[in-house]
Amino acid sequence: MLRLEDVSVRFGGLIALSGISFSIQKGEILGLVGPNGAGKTTLFNCISGLVRARGRISFEEREITALPLHKRARAGIGRTFQIPQPMHHLTVRENLTVAQVFGAGRSDPARIAEILDVMELSGKADADAASALALQELKRLEIAKALATEPKLLLLDEVLAGLESQAKRAFMLKLRELHKLFGLTIVIVEHDIETISNLCSRAVVLNFGQLIADGTPEAVFRDPQVMKSYTGAADA
Amino acid sequence: MSAPSASSSPLRTLGLIAGLVVLGLVPLFMGAGNYFLGLLISALILSGLALSWALLGNLGGMVSFGHAAFFGVGSYASALFAAKLGVPVLAAIPLAGLIAAASALAMLPALRLSGPYFALAILAYSQIFRILATEATWLTGGAAGLQRYPGLPNVFGLNLADRAGAYGLVLLVVALVAVVYVLIRRSHVGTALRAIAESEDATRVVGVNSFVLKTWMLLLSAFIAGVFGALNAHIIGFLEPDYAFSGIWSVMPIIAAVFGGYRTVLGPVFGAIVIYLFDQLVAKSLIPVGHQILLGILLAAMVLVAPNGMSELVGRLFRRSGGRHAAA
Repeated sequence: MLRLEDVSVRFGGLIALSGISFSIQKGEILGLVGPNGAGKTTLFNCISGLVRARGRISFEEREITALPLHKRARAGIGRTFQIPQPMHHLTVRENLTVAQVFGAGRSDPARIAEILDVMELSGKADADAASALALQELKRLEIAKALATEPKLLLLDEVLAGLESQAKRAFMLKLRELHKLFGLTIVIVEHDIETISNLCSRAVVLNFGQLIADGTPEAVFRDPQVMKSYTGAADA
Repeated sequence: MSAPSASSSPLRTLGLIAGLVVLGLVPLFMGAGNYFLGLLISALILSGLALSWALLGNLGGMVSFGHAAFFGVGSYASALFAAKLGVPVLAAIPLAGLIAAASALAMLPALRLSGPYFALAILAYSQIFRILATEATWLTGGAAGLQRYPGLPNVFGLNLADRAGAYGLVLLVVALVAVVYVLIRRSHVGTALRAIAESEDATRVVGVNSFVLKTWMLLLSAFIAGVFGALNAHIIGFLEPDYAFSGIWSVMPIIAAVFGGYRTVLGPVFGAIVIYLFDQLVAKSLIPVGHQILLGILLAAMVLVAPNGMSELVGRLFRRSGGRHAAA
């Protein structure tokens, strides 16, 4: 579904990503892991079009390397931000409607109602501006907004960060439900090894902008090089 | 393509606009004197310009310091169409709006900028047009200006050239612009534009082509400013670059829109009327030279009392009196 070939990004003298190549198959839930500053969010920015990359990015057999951000969203790439970025002064429903009309190219209130229901935001749909939501609700809105664009590939940037363990488990179940319900392919940036092991069928590890491991979570987290970069200790 | 809104109903908005029209017609029936009617015409011209500024500022988040350029281009284009090409004045006015919109195409690279950078770029742009109008003497008459061009015509026995006729025409155009503004704001495009004003990346990532939407808003805003420039030109009957492209046409709509409440439709309209009448009837008599300083003080006071302008203040007063009635 998504293919990255020799993708590199440089910010001035800083090499943020260097020669990243891997593919994502339709229906996969892939975990993108690595320490802070490894290049995970930059990679999301490249795929979604916020950052121009060198190399080649293809989505559903079509090269999208030079495609602008809004066209990638319309092609079926949805994403969330690590710090939720709702359209603050709009209501939850307006947020989703804008996403659906411009991202999916149609207006379907029934589908919006379904997304609100699944993301447990129905009660907040028309109440206040999105800026009045609590953090957990903002995270759900972030995903709901992406779902409203009817994505085929969903990029989730640390959506579980800041949640306590019970909320995290509930959110994981929700992600599985979304994966099944909407037939999504998901790439999730997450630090927690247990979460990646439980949720993902595959993990890709970045460190200092380079891909250092790609495989099942079990295999990846047994790799001493990964554990050294990830936890700072070879035998962790 | 209408977007649902939690904050306002279309009936209320249309009711308010109908109220604006009725209120606006009152001076005609009350037999307001020529001088006061003249002031109201100028205030309404400013209302239209303030609406065009607020359209860009509220829907798209672009703060313009250069609306004088569109106003001036519209003024000259309409006068020249009518004087040199013999185009009927009522056709020349919308054509002038189109020329003003076309002139805004040169500003498209500035849409890549945001905040103060956009504001400064558009300010510089407006100066270029003033210089062009001064130097192109073969077309514009240069610094000497233009004087011999047709005024507003007679239409079906109604003389638009007299003050009452001109007042009615300008009021009608202001009401039309207000309706267009409401329709855009209530559409999905309007909702997306409001979102762009807050967080452009958040909207682009869900498929909104922010550059295209902002471009349409800039062109529409320039068109409206050009139309009011044209109306003004045919009402006053003379043009010179320092007047048509004066910075006052950039600054006054900002003061009026912010004073009235630029996030509402009626805020800029009533803000312009209050500000203009205050300036002409009060400030000028208190300080004949440099009277605009009082406008600054008035605006600062309003922002301190009600950051969202007169519309917020009026809303607060209504709520308070409503609460008092309920308590009684």
